[in-house]
Amino acid sequence: MMSDAPQPVRVVVLGGGTAGWMTAAGIAKLLPGIASVQLVESEEIGIVGVGEATLPHIRGFVEKLGIDEAAFMKATHATFKLGIDFRDFGKIGESYIHPFGSFGEEVSGVGFHHYWLELARHGMARDLGDYSLAVAAAKANRFRPPAQGDGLASTYGYAYQFDATLFGPFMREFGLTIGVERHEGRVVTVERDGQSGDVVALVLADGRRIEGDLFVDCSGFRSILLGQELKVPWEDWTHWLPCDRAAAMPCTHATEDLRPYTTATAMPAGWRWQIPLQHRMGNGYVFSSAHIDEDQACEAIRAAAEGMPLADPRILRFRPGRRSQSWSHNVVGVGLASGFLEPLESTSIYLAQMAITYLIELFPAGGRIDPRDRAEFNRQVDMEYDRVRDFLILHYHATTRDDSEFWNHVRTMTVPDSLAGKLELWRRAGRIEKYSDGLFYDASWIAVYVGQGMLPVAHDPRAAMIPPDALARATERLRMAVTGEVASMPGHRDYLMREAARLAEAA
Amino acid sequence: MSTPREPLRRILVAGGGQLGVLTAIALRRALPSCEVAVVGGEPGPAAFADSSPTAMSFTNKLHDRLGIGEADIVMRAGGSYRLVTRYAGWGGEGQSGVVAYGEALDPALKTAFARDWGQVRLPGAGGPPAGSLAQVLAEAGRFAPPPPGEPTPISAVDYALRWNPAAYRDLLIAEAEALCINYAPGVIDRIEMGEGDTIRAIGLAGQGLIEADFFVDCSGPQAALLAAHPRFAFTDWSASLPTRHVYIAQASAPVIALEDRVTLNRAGWLAEVAGIDARYALLGTPAPLPRAEAEALLGAPALGAVALTPGRAAEPWIGNVVALGDAAARFDPLGPLHLDLAHRQLALLVEMLPGRDIAPLERAEYNRRSVLMMEGVHEVLALHFAAPAAQAVFGAQPLPGRVAAVIDQFQRRGRIPFREELPLLGQEQFALLVALGWTPGLPPAALAGDHAREDQARAAFEAEARAALAFAPPYTEWLGRTLSASRVPAG
Repeated sequence: MMSDAPQPVRVVVLGGGTAGWMTAAGIAKLLPGIASVQLVESEEIGIVGVGEATLPHIRGFVEKLGIDEAAFMKATHATFKLGIDFRDFGKIGESYIHPFGSFGEEVSGVGFHHYWLELARHGMARDLGDYSLAVAAAKANRFRPPAQGDGLASTYGYAYQFDATLFGPFMREFGLTIGVERHEGRVVTVERDGQSGDVVALVLADGRRIEGDLFVDCSGFRSILLGQELKVPWEDWTHWLPCDRAAAMPCTHATEDLRPYTTATAMPAGWRWQIPLQHRMGNGYVFSSAHIDEDQACEAIRAAAEGMPLADPRILRFRPGRRSQSWSHNVVGVGLASGFLEPLESTSIYLAQMAITYLIELFPAGGRIDPRDRAEFNRQVDMEYDRVRDFLILHYHATTRDDSEFWNHVRTMTVPDSLAGKLELWRRAGRIEKYSDGLFYDASWIAVYVGQGMLPVAHDPRAAMIPPDALARATERLRMAVTGEVASMPGHRDYLMREAARLAEAA
Repeated sequence: MSTPREPLRRILVAGGGQLGVLTAIALRRALPSCEVAVVGGEPGPAAFADSSPTAMSFTNKLHDRLGIGEADIVMRAGGSYRLVTRYAGWGGEGQSGVVAYGEALDPALKTAFARDWGQVRLPGAGGPPAGSLAQVLAEAGRFAPPPPGEPTPISAVDYALRWNPAAYRDLLIAEAEALCINYAPGVIDRIEMGEGDTIRAIGLAGQGLIEADFFVDCSGPQAALLAAHPRFAFTDWSASLPTRHVYIAQASAPVIALEDRVTLNRAGWLAEVAGIDARYALLGTPAPLPRAEAEALLGAPALGAVALTPGRAAEPWIGNVVALGDAAARFDPLGPLHLDLAHRQLALLVEMLPGRDIAPLERAEYNRRSVLMMEGVHEVLALHFAAPAAQAVFGAQPLPGRVAAVIDQFQRRGRIPFREELPLLGQEQFALLVALGWTPGLPPAALAGDHAREDQARAAFEAEARAALAFAPPYTEWLGRTLSASRVPAG
């Protein structure tokens, strides 16, 4: 049979971190014969290993690549994640979980949170999280994958918490088995076409010359191709997202419990993460270098970490923002080379995955890049970044904290107009600006608004048409159903061990 | 602390057509404490949402929520089922294609279809394969509404309902009366403004003023309330939508069919809707036609003709008045988009129902989404006039919004970029573009030599099609059984 396949496009991925190997493996697996993939990485440079925690979308990616979940979890010491526990953000001493799931369900087209607000008015509301299966399971340290169908047991999703320094290598192993060609070396020269300005080849320190048709810049913040070579401007978002450093320090587990969630605790100049992996607890302080210096941050994370330190704090430097174009000429930026939104909602790996998905959809099969595809890619990527940005800013801005310069700044700063409108709509009427193509939907916005104490002044009049006692009884039934469901779930650690045993047996 | 907003106390719906009555029912059900009244007469024939004998599948869900029974429509309002719409002639003489509802196809199957549809066909080789279970069933004339809540081989088949508009309106009126919705027919002759940019009351000829705190304009294209508002503005679509004259056929002999047709002919487009008690037809043209020619193309005597200036309200909600249906947007009735749009806007209004205090930002959010819906319809219609053969009849038009990008992505990649609030799902839009005569490109991943996944998907589809055909009875048989059962007097 004749194949309609054009000549394979020579893809060169620069950078062997998480984004680089995800890109290389994704293209090699999903565009067989359409693309050949080479990856250039240098062991002397090392990787950031961004993102120990992920979003549920990662499961789709791993599955699409045909990777077995259990093998992947074992290799990366992964645990399950049902959401993020935010502590001290709205106010010191308060906390809430932003779940991968919903709160209650809407009744006659009116969102559950309106009924919850009505109950609260009568002093009969419990914590909003009590009406969310994902939140209740997380708090109880229990886990079971969601059920199919549309019952209560299907109202959540899950993601992974894994060792990011192992995820890249795992994807590398996988990529190498499906034909990605790896080159070890440092790029010293980028050769470009005199006329088009396209990148033609990367020249390595030892003189090797790697030619390609399409280059994917996964070189991290250095952004060797997109930033340094093509000089694509960087839009800086530091004003809204002032954190620009992290002090990371892994620890032992301090307790027996294995949390199926990530913890983000607000700090005087930022926030710190706790990400439970199978073998250790990831810790780090994300901070604004304008407000404290690196030594202070290292001290602070040493003091705050609960387990035994497994290493000295390591400083990571980053800049929130994005390139004004993620695809310019024949260079596509994926991961930090194209943009970064701080790790607060674990969006880094998602944003890389999103860019890879669009690149595959808009891939220049045959080698000629159509400017319309480039424009479509940039439009989609920009929209995702902008929406995620607004959601992250909300976490800082929705606060009453006035205990440090940092919190005074974020509490009083002007926010993007796109966010200001969303806030006002919520404050005034308890409504969420709707979109169907994006990362964070109604439940996420509600979790943060309510969790950080930003309640609207008024809610839907229809919520007050049910007598408060009847409303209380109905929500109590829901809460008990949630509690009952949680009680039937295994513990998170038990579930992981049982799965591991089952798979070991199967293998 | 958050307090419930003071609910609306009285809502007036202007316009007593099928849209106005359903709107009143939806509002009354949402706010049982609120007095809801319908005022003004039944809009004329140019109110296409009110004269439409059909909608799309969204309306089934809305009916369900409002307690309007599908069986009642079938038995008491001449209801029947449409599984697909056939587009003919848009890609040139003899070309046709079929659009079904829903998004049930395996993506690999879509790619397989794209490959089949893109192939050069030898003369006599027959048409391309069916693109959906609905098409398989429609072409075999087999269907019965699947029993709800029970998995069957046809449960994934989505459909639209048709009805007799007068009988359907009567059915809704009975429901409205049961809900204590008042009706005051008459001509609106006065609008009294209140504080700010709100309407305080409207006057009905000979009946004095009626006050309300919220007004919904379902009065048809003249937009009796919204267009009278000092802040009303109109966004003109006539540069991109070339139809200027719509000829309306008299209801003619019934046609039992699971498909409706939208055909491009030498003078314009012809939309034909089948029905168990009548056939409905509309003809749209860029230039006026002699009556005889219009009737020849309609295949029936003409009831009348209306002039069309397509466009939409710049803001469909101003102050305390919201326009729905033709009062919000006027455009070609070449498919069931009018009532579908009106019903989706109604659902949005119910979702965002304000209190007596209207927050400017919630109005802005309603308008944002409502405008997205209307511009979505605008873009879907523009696809029709961009079709290869349509340009010969209507001339070349500038393409609004992202239409050019959609056609480009479809032709080169078989890709449908996502768009918020579009009347069609991705697969429906894919099928529409094929039906209008474009050839889908293949996604990059499909260009590799290995078609195993597609072959698997195709085999699975063929098995599903066999099961569906075996399960579904002949449609006429089912219809006969159902209707004769309904004639048995109730004991």
